Parts: sequence; structure tokens; C-alpha cells
Amino acid sequence: MTFLQPYILWGLPLILIPVIIHLINRMRHRPQPWAAMMFLIAATRASTNRARLKQWLVLAFRMLAVAALISFLARPLGGGWLGWAVNAAPDVIMIVLDRSASMETKLPGQTITRREQALKMIAEAADKFSETSHLVLLDSATKQAQQLASASALQEDSLTGPTDTAADLPALLQIAHKWLVDNSAGTTEIWIASDLQQSNWQPEDDRWEQLGAQFEDMLQPVRFRLLAFNADGGLNRTVSLAELNRPVKSPQQVQLDLSLAATKPSDQKFPLRLKVGDAESRSEVVIDAASLLHQQQLEVPAKAPLPWGAATLPADSNERDNDVYFVAEKTGMAGALIVSDEPGKMVFARLAAMSPGEKKPAEAITPGDFGQFDLSNVALIVWQTSLPADIARLESFIRDGGAVVFLPPGADKELAFQGSSFGESFAAEESSFTISKWNEQDGPLAATEEGLTLPVKRLQTLRRRDIDTSDTVLATYDDGKPFLTRGNIGRGTYYYLATLPLSDWSNLNRGEVLVPMFQRMLKIGARRIGKETLIACGELSAADRTLLWTPVDTDEYRNILLHAGIYRAGDRLVAVNRPSGEDEVGAIDPEEVATLFGELPLQFSEQRTVEESALQGEVWRLFLLGMLAFLIIESWLVLPPSSDELRLKGTRLATAGGAE
Amino acid sequence: MAEERAREFLDPDALARLMHLPLVSRFAMEGNVTGQHKSPHRGSSVEFAEYRGYVPGDDLRRLDWRVLGRTDRFYIKEFEADTNLRLHVVIDASASMGFAGKGESKFAYARRIAGSLAYLAAGQGDAVGLFCPNGKRQLELPAKRNPAHLSTLYDVLEDTVPEGETNIIGALHDMAEKVRRRALIVVISDFFCPIDELASCLQHLRFQKHDLAIFRLLDPMETDFEFDRPMRFQDLESPFSLVTEPALIRDLYLEEINKHRAALRSACLEFNVDFREVVTDQIAEKYLADFLTERAHANP
Repeated sequence: MTFLQPYILWGLPLILIPVIIHLINRMRHRPQPWAAMMFLIAATRASTNRARLKQWLVLAFRMLAVAALISFLARPLGGGWLGWAVNAAPDVIMIVLDRSASMETKLPGQTITRREQALKMIAEAADKFSETSHLVLLDSATKQAQQLASASALQEDSLTGPTDTAADLPALLQIAHKWLVDNSAGTTEIWIASDLQQSNWQPEDDRWEQLGAQFEDMLQPVRFRLLAFNADGGLNRTVSLAELNRPVKSPQQVQLDLSLAATKPSDQKFPLRLKVGDAESRSEVVIDAASLLHQQQLEVPAKAPLPWGAATLPADSNERDNDVYFVAEKTGMAGALIVSDEPGKMVFARLAAMSPGEKKPAEAITPGDFGQFDLSNVALIVWQTSLPADIARLESFIRDGGAVVFLPPGADKELAFQGSSFGESFAAEESSFTISKWNEQDGPLAATEEGLTLPVKRLQTLRRRDIDTSDTVLATYDDGKPFLTRGNIGRGTYYYLATLPLSDWSNLNRGEVLVPMFQRMLKIGARRIGKETLIACGELSAADRTLLWTPVDTDEYRNILLHAGIYRAGDRLVAVNRPSGEDEVGAIDPEEVATLFGELPLQFSEQRTVEESALQGEVWRLFLLGMLAFLIIESWLVLPPSSDELRLKGTRLATAGGAE
Repeated sequence: MAEERAREFLDPDALARLMHLPLVSRFAMEGNVTGQHKSPHRGSSVEFAEYRGYVPGDDLRRLDWRVLGRTDRFYIKEFEADTNLRLHVVIDASASMGFAGKGESKFAYARRIAGSLAYLAAGQGDAVGLFCPNGKRQLELPAKRNPAHLSTLYDVLEDTVPEGETNIIGALHDMAEKVRRRALIVVISDFFCPIDELASCLQHLRFQKHDLAIFRLLDPMETDFEFDRPMRFQDLESPFSLVTEPALIRDLYLEEINKHRAALRSACLEFNVDFREVVTDQIAEKYLADFLTERAHANP
């Protein structure tokens, strides 16, 4: 429970007044000389526990009445999701709002979405604090804390409207912490409204531990209230883009791999609307598994001015995840470059790093030629030699978004870059080195989207060089030495690989691991060439944010940072879609939430339906009635027997002891 | 009466009104002089009792000559003996008798009753004695008839101050042993003592063929027990004190005291004791008038 005038609670010690009066009365008793002591002693001895209990009860009810009066004067708020814990009105109420696409799921059996219900409840609760507390909104889409003039501002679409973004709760709380520190906020309550989506909360993230420590270290008390909308929202289908190919040979064709998912798989057919340019088509689909891949081949009309399209599912409980947008630009000419002392030997590497657009092996040069080589179409550099004198060129290549993979430059040459280096060379003595652990979720050795694992276990290394690094290790040998590591500079990525695709080093040259690995690196490095056409909503790069983006698929204004769709800046076209995490149905459970917050004071409130009782209000009437009730009970307890009763008793006593 | 002292406990008007009522005993008394009361012996009053045959040695003056003349037989004519009465007044002078509610103390009230009874008895020629037992001493005045004795008795009454613990039980047993001749014994006390022990005293006194009358004095405050706030009750006969909330124990207190009153009443009934319960806010004359009238009617 929260009090609008909490300073009145300082008067709570006044509940001792009845006790003090009672004690003073006991001390002030008048002395009375008495002759009939024998009867008095007998009566006192027979004075039952009931009489004593009655006396205690009278005292307790008097104290309760005073407590209720003081609580009533302090203007308590309660009954809503804010609950009943006793608190003063905080100086700052920071509302952390999850505006991710998943919050647009409708509440079970309602037309109102989770976000709308959260805003309604928060606005009603915050309205009571408009006089006593500063209201600050921090939403997941803009990640900017902004002070609100009143709680009604929460209902403005520009501040709290729906978006297609994802939410990063740890990051939001870090921003909240920074804001509180920067603004030297006093007592604070952080009200979080979220659907507890696993991908938004990232319970495995290390930042949670830091957050716990940071908030605990704060001088001013911070309380958390979490309004969770984790109820199942009914039938929901999602569509997302798994793969898009526009073969160079037949540029009029677009191959779409759509990932379809449903919360309740069924055999029911439903229409999938597809649009490329001005041409629209429909196809019937069935989602009979939790998720499936739907392949669709589309013809781009010859006259289509812009090669973009969209796939749309029929309306369901969440209308934000029924569309997917794509731009069918011709596959870029991004290629790879091999830099080696002996370029002739790197045949397998050249083949594995073949440009998907041009379908020809990667170019291989000597380090001496690197300085003059035109890197404009290069996305991946395979570096198998000592570092050049002009290391800055390589660095800026990576910073621009390119990918570089360092291979051992022979058995004894030095190669050190960004604190990582190749160490000693080892040759397997009896059997070859094999790889025991690798990251199947992420990186160049990750499993395919169909869930197929790369045959990394079949790799056999005869010779390798140790990698001394503090970067992320993506794969390790049996003896724990790294096989593949990854580091980042700027937008780009660099890798260290412990062995070479040469027959006297390893069987990497068989290609079953090398090809997908290099092709993935190539794809990652393609960012550098500015051919990125698919962007997750809210993840536009800093450079791209400076451009003026206008929506193409609609005439209305739309912010590229908040809404999915097709946007154009100059002659560049991008398709913005929901981040893939938003389509995941997994939500973390309340126990996990409690673990994340650790020792921090957290009040958890799950909202499954729209309940009137969930709304908060001033509850002073309750306390006033309580006080009256306590006083009535107290007076009833101390009430002397009625005169009739007394007369009756008097008669009885007189009969017992009076004249014959 | 001694003129030198005021005798404030005596009300001359009330005494004047009571004078016409005789103080009579319910049973035959053994006096030593002629008086107004029946004696167990034959005497020379005008009240004929019986005839009996003459035996040598009888006084010839009491021979009924008329019967001798008519029948030639010797008969002695006997008459009732009227004797005087010994009134022993016992006043409990323990500290509890000093309790005074809103009016005068119980002891002052007891003094008023004792003084009046002594005056009335002396007025009709009866002997009056006084016992004033308290925890410390037991003051005794033997029963005497002369007016000077009455003055002495009043002096004692006036000078006695209630103090010490109640010792009425022991005093009554003592008295039963000491007063051998039949007498009228009037005990004035609050009787705040165990009833079974008191009952044995009553039995003892009645066994000695005394006519026993009891005035039980109670203050209205003791019978009503009406207090509106916690009190410290200080025992008058000991340093003991008790803090309590009277409202909470009133019912139990009244129950206890009424039980005691009923027990004393039934003990008196059992031993044929003339019992009077006196509430000290009433006029003493009323109780005395009732006492005298009922006795006079019982012995016409």
C-alpha cells in the first residue's frame, strides 16, 4: 500500500496513547481503606481469565482504532496491482514499458492488447501520484527516459504506441539506473510492464548480475513492481523470412524461404498473401507443426519499379507478427580475398570462399600486393601470412564491417593482431587432434536453420598452432585448446583458425566444414559493402540512422526505427522486419524473474485478464470504517450491563443476602 | 448520666421515644434482685404459680389458710419470681469497625446502639456490662445496676478506638465461659470472620442459656461496591493492599458478601439467635424500636 501523505505515518507511535492512559490510570488509582477485604480477595481470586482477556481486547481495539485513524489521514492507496505493502509515495516513478511486437498480443477473450491494458492500468495508478511523484517513461523502442507532465500522456501513441521492435530488458534497466544516478533521483519505484518474453529478458545474460549490484549500491531506495502479461493469448500465427535468393542467372525469380509458426498447430488451411511489386498472389498453407519452413518461388514482374515484396497472414491474436517484408535485390558481388605467402597452395581456401554471385573462386594474392588491391567488393579476407606494415588498412577494413580470418602463417612465423596471436606449432604424434566442443548456436560453425549440425567432429587436425587470445572461443580441441576464435572491431569481425586447409595440416580441405564456414564469414563481411537489405526493426546501424528514410509500401509516415516495412533512402531500399526473437513464444516464469532481481525489492503482479479489482484506488473509506468498527467493538466491550439486567441481578443478589 | 461529658452518641429525643418500650428477655433470667423479668425460680411476685403440699421447714407465712380452713390440709401457695436482667453488650472494636463510608463509622454506629440499650436497661433497673474486644486487648466491664456504673460504661465507650485485628470469635468464647448466669448478650459487629467458627461461638453462648442478640453492621459502600475507577484497597487490619478494577470484580464481590450474609443469617436461625442486619446509613432508632417491640410482643 502506498500513502499520499506518508509523513502522517510518523504519528503511528500515537497508538501507544491508550496504553499510556491505561498505565497512568493504574498509577493514579485512589487509595480506599477497606474493611470487607476477605470478600475482595475472594472475588479477585475468582476473577476469571475472561475478564482479563476482555481488558486486553479493549486495549487492543483502542490501539487499532488509533492506527486506523492515522492510516486514514495518510491517504492510503491500495487494492490495485500496486498491492498492499506499506510505502511512502516515491519521488520518482519510472515506467519501463515493453513496446515490443509481442506486447501487441490481445488479452484472452478481449480486443485490448497487452500493451494497451498495461498502459491503462499504469496510467490509472500513476494518476494518483501525479502530485507527489515525478513520472518518467522509459520505453523499449526509443530507449530514452523522458519525464511526463501527467499520467494521461501515457496514452499518447507517439510515446507509447505499438512498434515492431524487440525489447532488451537488461539494457533498459541499465539505462534506468544511469538516469537515476545522473539525475540524483530520490526514492524511486520502477514499474515494469512486460510480457516476460524470454528473448526480451535474456535471463542468461551477465548484465543481470551487474544490475543487481548496481541497484543495491544506490544510496536511495529503489523498488520494482512488475506488471506481467504472460497469459496465453490464444491462436497466433507468425511469419518470418528465413532465406531470400534471387539467382543471378534468372533475375526475374525470387526464392523465398518463409518460416511459419503457430501457437496451436492444426490442419486448417489459411491463405498466405504474397506481394512482389504490384503483383499479388495467394497460396493456401497449413501449419500442422509448431513451426515449419514454407518455400515459395515468385516472379518479379518485369515492369516492377522496385523489387520489394511482402507476405501476409490473416488476422489473429497478434496483428503485428503477420507480415514479413523483403527486398529482392540482385545478390551482391561480394567476394573474398586470400592473402598468403604461397597463394598457389591455398586452392581449397579459394574454392571455399567462392563468391556466391560471381561463382568463381576467390582471388589470392601475396602480401606485397595487398596495399594496392581494390577492396571495394571484398567482404572476407583470408590472411595467411605475417601482418603487413600497413596494418591500418586491414583494421579499417574490419571496422567498416568486413570479416577477416587469420590462418597460421606457416609453422613458425609470427602473427599477432588486437592482442591475439598464434603461438607454438604442434604436430599430432599418434592420432590427430579432434574438435570436441563448438558453438552450435552462433558463429560460422552453428547448426543450419534446419537444425543440421556441421560435421565438425569429423575434422582431423595433424598440425596446428595455439591461439593466445582473450576473444570468444567458438570451438575447442579435445585438449581444450582453441580451434576457432572470434573478436570484433567496429562493425566488423575477425577470426583465428588454428590450422590450415592443407593435407599436411588437416582435412579441412574436404570442404564439408570449410565451405559453410567461409560462406558464413563472407555473408557476415557483406555488411561492409552496404548490400544489407534486411534489417531487424530497431537495429538500424548508426551510419544508416543519419539517412532520411521514407516508407515505400505506404503513403503514411512511419518511423523506420519503430515500424516494419519497406523504406528507401536515396536509391537504397531496405526491408525492416520484426527481430526474430519476437516470434518466440517462450516466457520466463515468475520464479526466474525473482532470481534475476535477487535481493532487490520486487513486487510481482501477473495479469491474466482485465479485472476491475486490479485497478487501484484510494482506500481511506476502508480505514475509516475500520476505525468505526474498532470503536464500536470497544464500546460494546466496556458497556456496563443494561439497567434491566442490573435490576434483575440486584434482585437476585438481594434475595441471596437480604432480609428474610 | 455523667454531666461532665457530652455523650454525643446518645440521642435524648430518641431515648425519650424508646423509653416506653421495655427491654425484655426472650428467656427466663437469673437476676439477683427483683425486677421485671421472669426468673426460673419461684418468688414473691403477685403472679400465682402453683400449690404444693407443706413440708416441715416451709415458711408458715406462705401457708394458704383458706384452704386449710376449708379442707384441713396444709398447702403452700407459690408465686412467680420476677428478677432483674443482666445485659452484656459486646462491641467489636477491631479496626474494620472503624470503616466509614460516606457517613459515620460502623463503630460510632455500634456505640450509638450500645449506649441506647445500656440506658434503657439501666432505666428499668437491669444490670449492664460491656465487652470491647479488639486485636490488642479485651476491655470488660461487669454488669452492674447502679447509675454510676452506666456513666463508667459510657466513658469506656467514648474512649475506645477501633484498632487491631478482629478477635470476636475468641472474645465470644471467653464470654461464654465467664458469664455463668443467664443473661441477655447483645453482640454488635460486622462479623467479617469465617461463619463456621462464628457459629460455634453462637452455639457455645446459647448452650449457657443466654438470650443472644446480634446486630450485624454493614456500611452501604460495602453492600453496593460501586466504584467507577481502579482503586487501591487498603486493608484496615493489616498493611495488605490490593489494586483492582472494581467494575470487573463487582459481581464476584457481591456474590461473596451475599453468600456470607446468608450464611450468618442461617447460623443465627439454627441457634435461635435474634439476628438484626443494620445498614449504617439508616437511623439507629428504627432498628432499636424494632428490636424492643418484637421482643415485647414475643413476651406479652
